Amino acid sequence: MENIVEVKHFKIGFGDKTVIKDLSFNIKKGEIFGLLGSNGSGKTTTIRALLGFYEPSSGEILVDGKRYNPENAEVAVGYLPEERGLYRKEKVLDTMRYFGELKGLKDPLAWSRKYLKRVGLSDKENEKLEKLSGGQQQKIQLGITIMGDPKLLILDEPTKGFDPMNRRLLMDIIEEHHQKGAAIIMITHYMDEVERLCDRALLLKNGVAKAYGTIAEIKKAYNNKSLEDIFVEVYGGENE
Amino acid sequence: MSSQISKVIKFEIARQLKKPAFWAATLLLPLLIGGIYLVSFLSSRSVNQTPTLDENTKIAVTDDAGIFSENAPFLVKITPEEGRALVKSGELDLYYYLPKDFAETKKAEVYHISEGLDVFNNDGNILKSLLLEDVSAHTSELDRLAMTGNYEIIDHKLNQNGEDENALGKAIIPFAIGIVFFMFVALCGNRFLLNVVEEKENRISEMILTSISAKHLIVGKIFALLVLGIIQIAALVIPILILVYLNRDVGPVNQILSSVEIDPLSIILGLVLFAASAIFYAGTCTFVGSLTSTAKDASSFIGPAIILLVFPLYFMQMFMATDPNLAVQVMTYFPFTAPIALMLRSGFGTISTPEYIIGIAVVSISAAIMVRAAVLTFQKNAINFGSPKLRLKRKH
Repeated sequence: MENIVEVKHFKIGFGDKTVIKDLSFNIKKGEIFGLLGSNGSGKTTTIRALLGFYEPSSGEILVDGKRYNPENAEVAVGYLPEERGLYRKEKVLDTMRYFGELKGLKDPLAWSRKYLKRVGLSDKENEKLEKLSGGQQQKIQLGITIMGDPKLLILDEPTKGFDPMNRRLLMDIIEEHHQKGAAIIMITHYMDEVERLCDRALLLKNGVAKAYGTIAEIKKAYNNKSLEDIFVEVYGGENE
Repeated sequence: MSSQISKVIKFEIARQLKKPAFWAATLLLPLLIGGIYLVSFLSSRSVNQTPTLDENTKIAVTDDAGIFSENAPFLVKITPEEGRALVKSGELDLYYYLPKDFAETKKAEVYHISEGLDVFNNDGNILKSLLLEDVSAHTSELDRLAMTGNYEIIDHKLNQNGEDENALGKAIIPFAIGIVFFMFVALCGNRFLLNVVEEKENRISEMILTSISAKHLIVGKIFALLVLGIIQIAALVIPILILVYLNRDVGPVNQILSSVEIDPLSIILGLVLFAASAIFYAGTCTFVGSLTSTAKDASSFIGPAIILLVFPLYFMQMFMATDPNLAVQVMTYFPFTAPIALMLRSGFGTISTPEYIIGIAVVSISAAIMVRAAVLTFQKNAINFGSPKLRLKRKH
C-alpha cells in the first residue's frame, strides 16, 4: 500500500533541547495509525512538523511525498489539535460555514446542518460558540476537522473529556471516515481506542521510537501484554 | 485575488458588521463631532454679535461707494494696489476697499498678510464694527445694506511678497485627508491588533492554518479591516459633508468652500499617501498582534508605534517653515512619522512634489515590508499560545 506520510531520520530541537532524535516511520493510505506516548514525548511536535508549523533540524517529514503547505497541497488534511478553540463570539453555523468555504465545500451550510443533526446539536446552530459546553464545542471542532473528507485526518486526543456515549459517537464518525478511505493519525491516551481502531502504532518516548508496527507486532514484542500494560511498562518510570 | 483571501474578507466583514460595538463606534463619533460643531457654531454666533477690534491694528478703508462719513479717521483715498503695497510694507494691517458699485455687487475687498490658517478670522466683523461706529450720520439704504453684513468680503491674504496667498484653500484637502487618516487610526487600530491576537487567544490558528496559508489569512484580514475602516469613515464623513452642504451659505463655511483649491495632482498624491499610510499602520498593528500572544501584550507593544505616529504633531510649527530643518527631514522620511509629517507639509505647502513623491514611496515600501513581516511573524508564531517570544522554526 502507498504511503501518505513518510518520516525519515527526522530530528528537531528547540534551543539546546533535542525533542525528536532520528525518528523514522510511515503511514499508509487508508490506515488508522496510533501515535502514542506520555506527555512531552514529542507527539505534538512531530505532528506540527508534519504540518509545516516547525521545520525539521534534519531529515524529512512528508505528506504525499512533499512538505505540507495548505496553499498548494494536493492532499486535504484535517487536523484537530490538542490546543483547540473556535471564534467564541460567533454562531455555530456561521463558523462551520466559514471553515467549510475555506475547505472548498460546495454547500457548507447543508453539510453543517447534516453534521449538527448527526451529533445532536441541530438546536444550537444559531447559538454563539461560547454558550456551548466544552463537549459540544469539541463536536463542532471535530465536524470542522472532517469537513471535505480529508485524505489525512490527524486527531490529537479527539475524545478527551467525553462521556462514554459521545465517545462512542465520535469513534463511529472516525470509523466512517476510515471506511471512506481516509488515513487517520490518532493521538490518544485511551489504549482501548487504539486496540479497537488502529491498524498500526508508534510508541514514542523522549523523541525516540520505543515500538512501531501493527498492534499484534507490538504486543508480540512485549510478550503479548495488553497495550495498557505495555504503556505502563514503557512510561512507568517517568513519574517515579 | 485568491478565492481563499476573498472568503476571509467576506467572513471578517460579516462578523464585524454584526457586532454592536462596531456600530456604536461608527455612530457615536459623528454624534460627538455634531455636538462639537453645534457648540462651536453657537459660540461663533455669540462672538459675531460682539466683534472686538485690537487697538493696535492699523486699518485703512477706501470708500468709493460713499458709505462712511467723510471725516471717518480710517478713510484713505488710494487705489487697491496702493493699499496692497502698504499692507506688504507693514504700514497697514488691514486695508478695505469698497468699490463704487458696492450696492449692486455687494462685494468688498480686504487685504492683509496671511498669518497661517486663520479659518475663523473676523475681517467681516471688523468692517461691520467700523460701520457701526460711523452710523450716526448715515441712514441710507446703502448703509443699512452694509451694516446688516449681507455682503461678501473678498479676502486677499498676502504672502510676504505682497502676492495673493490662498494658504487655507490649498491646505483644506491635504488636511482633510490627514483628519480622515487620524479617524482611521482611532477607529481601526485596536481592531487590527485584536483580530490577529484573537486567532491565538482562542486557539484557532493551528486548526485554520491547515486549511489556509498564513499569507492568505493575514492578507484577507488586513483587506477586510481596511474595508470596514472605509465603511466607518464613510459613516462619519457623509453626515459632515451633508452639514457642510446645508450650511454652504453660512459665513465661515462659505468662505472656506470658496477658497478650496482643487489641485488634481495634490489630491491623487494625498489619496495614495492615505492608502499607503493606512496599509502601513494596518501592517504594523497586525505585525504586533502576530508577535504577541494576548491582547494585553499587544496593547503595550503598539503604544510606541502610536506615539511615533503622532510625534510630528508636537512640532507642527516646524513643519510650517519653507526651509525644513534636519528634524523635519528625518520625520518626513522615517516610516513611522512619515504619514503625518507628509500630510502636514503638504497642507502647509512646505514640500516640493518630488520630495512628496519620495516620501510616499518610503511609506508604500514600508507598508509592503510591514505586511510581509506580519505574515512571516504569524507563520512563525501562530502556535505560540503562551509567551510573546518568537518561534523561528516554521516555514511554508
